[in-house]
Formats: sequence, structure tokens, C-alpha cells
Amino acid sequence: MVGDGDTAVPEIRVEGLGKAFGRREVLRDVSFTVGRGGFLTLFGPNGAGKTTTLRLVATLLRPSSGSVAVAGYDLKDDPMPVRRAIGFISHNALLYRDLTAQENLRFYADMYGVADPGRRIGELLERVELSHRRYDVVSTYSKGMLQRLAIARALLHEPRVLLLDEPHSGLDPHAVEILDGLLGEIRAAHTFVMATHNLRQGLALADQVMILDAGRVVFSHVGRLAADEFAAVYHEHVREGALV
Amino acid sequence: MGLRQYRAMVRKDIVRELRTRETVVAMLLFVVLAMVVFHYAFTVPGGGDLSLLTGGMLWVVFVFGALLGLNRTFAHEKDEGCLDGLLLCPVDRVTIFLAKMTANLVFLGLIQVIAVPLFALFFATGRMATHLPAFLALVVLADLGIAALGTLLATIAMHTRARELLLPIVFLPLVIPLLIAAASGTSAVLSGTAGSGSVLGRLAFLLVYDGVFLVLAYGTYDVAIGE
Repeated sequence: MVGDGDTAVPEIRVEGLGKAFGRREVLRDVSFTVGRGGFLTLFGPNGAGKTTTLRLVATLLRPSSGSVAVAGYDLKDDPMPVRRAIGFISHNALLYRDLTAQENLRFYADMYGVADPGRRIGELLERVELSHRRYDVVSTYSKGMLQRLAIARALLHEPRVLLLDEPHSGLDPHAVEILDGLLGEIRAAHTFVMATHNLRQGLALADQVMILDAGRVVFSHVGRLAADEFAAVYHEHVREGALV
Repeated sequence: MGLRQYRAMVRKDIVRELRTRETVVAMLLFVVLAMVVFHYAFTVPGGGDLSLLTGGMLWVVFVFGALLGLNRTFAHEKDEGCLDGLLLCPVDRVTIFLAKMTANLVFLGLIQVIAVPLFALFFATGRMATHLPAFLALVVLADLGIAALGTLLATIAMHTRARELLLPIVFLPLVIPLLIAAASGTSAVLSGTAGSGSVLGRLAFLLVYDGVFLVLAYGTYDVAIGE
């Protein structure tokens, strides 16, 4: 079931967010709110600032201006609870290739202080259909299997917020199907922000969309949108780069 | 939770190294080869006393051997894109430093377990055994300094493209005071003057050196590990 985000209880609040690398300003005055259980999709061409926005919310970058609060905690003052509240999935699996799936998940379980890690790891590996490969080193996994394990890694500490950076990138159709199925299953229990180029995948679960271009918000809409309607809006606001 | 995270990071680095053997084997090969080269290069006709030279030889070999390992401190995190995974974890940055430093200490200690007996075989007299506690204290304190300084600098260097070149350039000048203290202390042990108080002075210096870089890492690691 797709639930509309409860905007009365903001799970993510971003205000006037800006980021500059040296003199190069890559993000300017970005503001949005995602309610508990909401799903925001960020669209935009390459270099629009989608990944930078996600990395700022994930505490991987320090904002040059503005503020970010996740699960009620301010990123600058309280980064630890923010990190505990976040699960991050990107096209990079963030897994150690010379360790087994079991060793990788055990490492992250210890890092997040997961209680009863053995049971939780078993449960998640079952869910992503990788139990039979749990003692194999990750370097022997296919891209699709890696991404499923990355989802298990991101869900290990039961985060309230999931940040997805191009999670479908490089996956074959079968792996995309499995990933979408998993996202659909966990949709109701989490708050999401996803960055993508893909129109169908971006709109499938979203109840809120935003278009970024050249580091600025050029369109923002709360509520579901039809694909045709959104494609027209996108091309009206973004000159370069096409949606897939 | 800090201790659990610390142990998880150390265990992960050691398990990974046991599986790939890409760091310790290179360090060990370098140390053994360098000692063999020194053994032949410094052969004195008539078997003269080398005790004043060998302390320096030993620590030059250890410092350069350690450098090989220090260069790999964050190599797999960078190469496999796992640094983000580490930084996303709710872990104090100083805990990351302590875990990485411990792994570097373990790797350095491991090669010394093999290299020191070899060194004794090639160069040392029975004096090393006589003053073993003083020698071991020198090794422990010098290793701690090398690991603390090296881990901090390896963290800063990992953000640069030429990290393998940058690390030696910044590490070697800063490790010279440690090298002098460890080498002269070891020479004092080998020449039989360890009881004169000269080794105690070196140990005190190494203790201060270690303290300075541990405090520096504690204060700056959050910035050093960066974004």
C-alpha cells in the first residue's frame, strides 16, 4: 500500500540547504519537508545536485549553508542519532568485497549496535533471498545480488529513513523487479528520499516529487502525478538531459 | 557501543588481511630483504663492532616497512567504495582512528616478531637478550608513535589522488625525531650501555612523542577524515 506522508510530523526537514566545493556552488537554497511515511523522489539531469542533496542529508557532506533535521535531530548538533535513523542505498553497495555476506552484515550490525545480530542477519538474508550464499565472499556476487545485499545492509539497524541514490543503476530487469518488490514491501514502514532519472521507477512509489536543475529546486509537488503529466512538467523546467 | 564498534573494525581489517595477505606479506618481504642487503653491505672485515650502526639500520627498515602498510590503511575502503559505509555508521571518528591505528600496530608487530630474531641472528650480540625489557619497551613505544602518526597522515593523504606519494613525503620528516630516539636507544641496548640511563631518556621522549600525536589525532580526526 502506498501511504501519503504525514507532513504534520516531518521526518526530514531541509531548509535553505546550500553546498559549495571551494568557489563552485553545487546546491543553492534547497528546502523541502518529508512527512513520516512519505516518499520523495528527486529528479533532475546529471549534475543537478540530487546526489549532493542525499549525501548532505546522510551526513556524508557538511552543508555550507542551511539546516537539515532528520527524525527530529539537527544534523549539525546531533549527527549520531541522525546516522542511526538513516539507511543509505546507492548504486555502490558499500560492501567489502573480500568478506562474506555474513561477515559484512555482522560488521555493520556491530557498527550500528544491532541487538541479536545473528537472528536479524538471518532474517534479512532470507528476505533478500541470499541465505544460500551467506558464506560466499561478496566478490563472487552478481550486480543484482550485491544490490540485494546492500538493501539488507541498509535495513539491518531498522532505520526510519531510507535514502536511495539511483538504486536501479546497472541492474538487469530481473534484479530491478526484485528491488522494486522489496521497496514495495518496506514502503509503508519507512520514509524515503530517492534520486533517479527513471520516470516509471521514480513515480511508482512517490507521493511527493521535486526537480532539481543546476543546484536549484525548479519544481516541487506534493501528491501523486501521472507519468505523462510529470514528463511534460519536467521538459518545461529542464532543458538538458532526458528522463528514461 | 564504542568498544563493540572498535572491535568490529579491527576484526574486519585483520580478517580481510588474513584473506588477501596483500599488506603484511609485502611488508615482511621488504623488511627481510632490506636486512639481508644490510647484512652484506655492512660486513666488516675482521668482524668489527657494528652495535652503534645496527640500531639505526633496524629502525630505518621498520619505518620504511611500516610505510608500505600505512599506505594501505584506507586503500580497500577507498577502492571498494566502503568509506561512505563506514562514515554513515553512528561511530565517533576517534574510534575509527583508534581501530585503524590498532590494525596498523598489529601488522607492524607481526612483521617484527619475525624480523627481530632475524636481526639478532645477523647483527646483534647476546646483549639484546640481556636488555630485552628495555628493547621491548623501545619497540612498543616507537611502534605506537609510527602507527599514530602514520594513521593520521594516511587518513589525510587518502583524499588526494597521489596518496602513495604524499604519505612518505609528509610522514618521513615528522618521524625523524622518533627514528633518532628509537635508533639511539636500540644502539645503547646493543652496545651494552642500556643501564646508564640513556635508554630511559629515549623512552621518555618516545612517550611524549606518542602522546603528542595521539592528542593531535583526537583533536583533528573529525576534520582529517573529512567529507
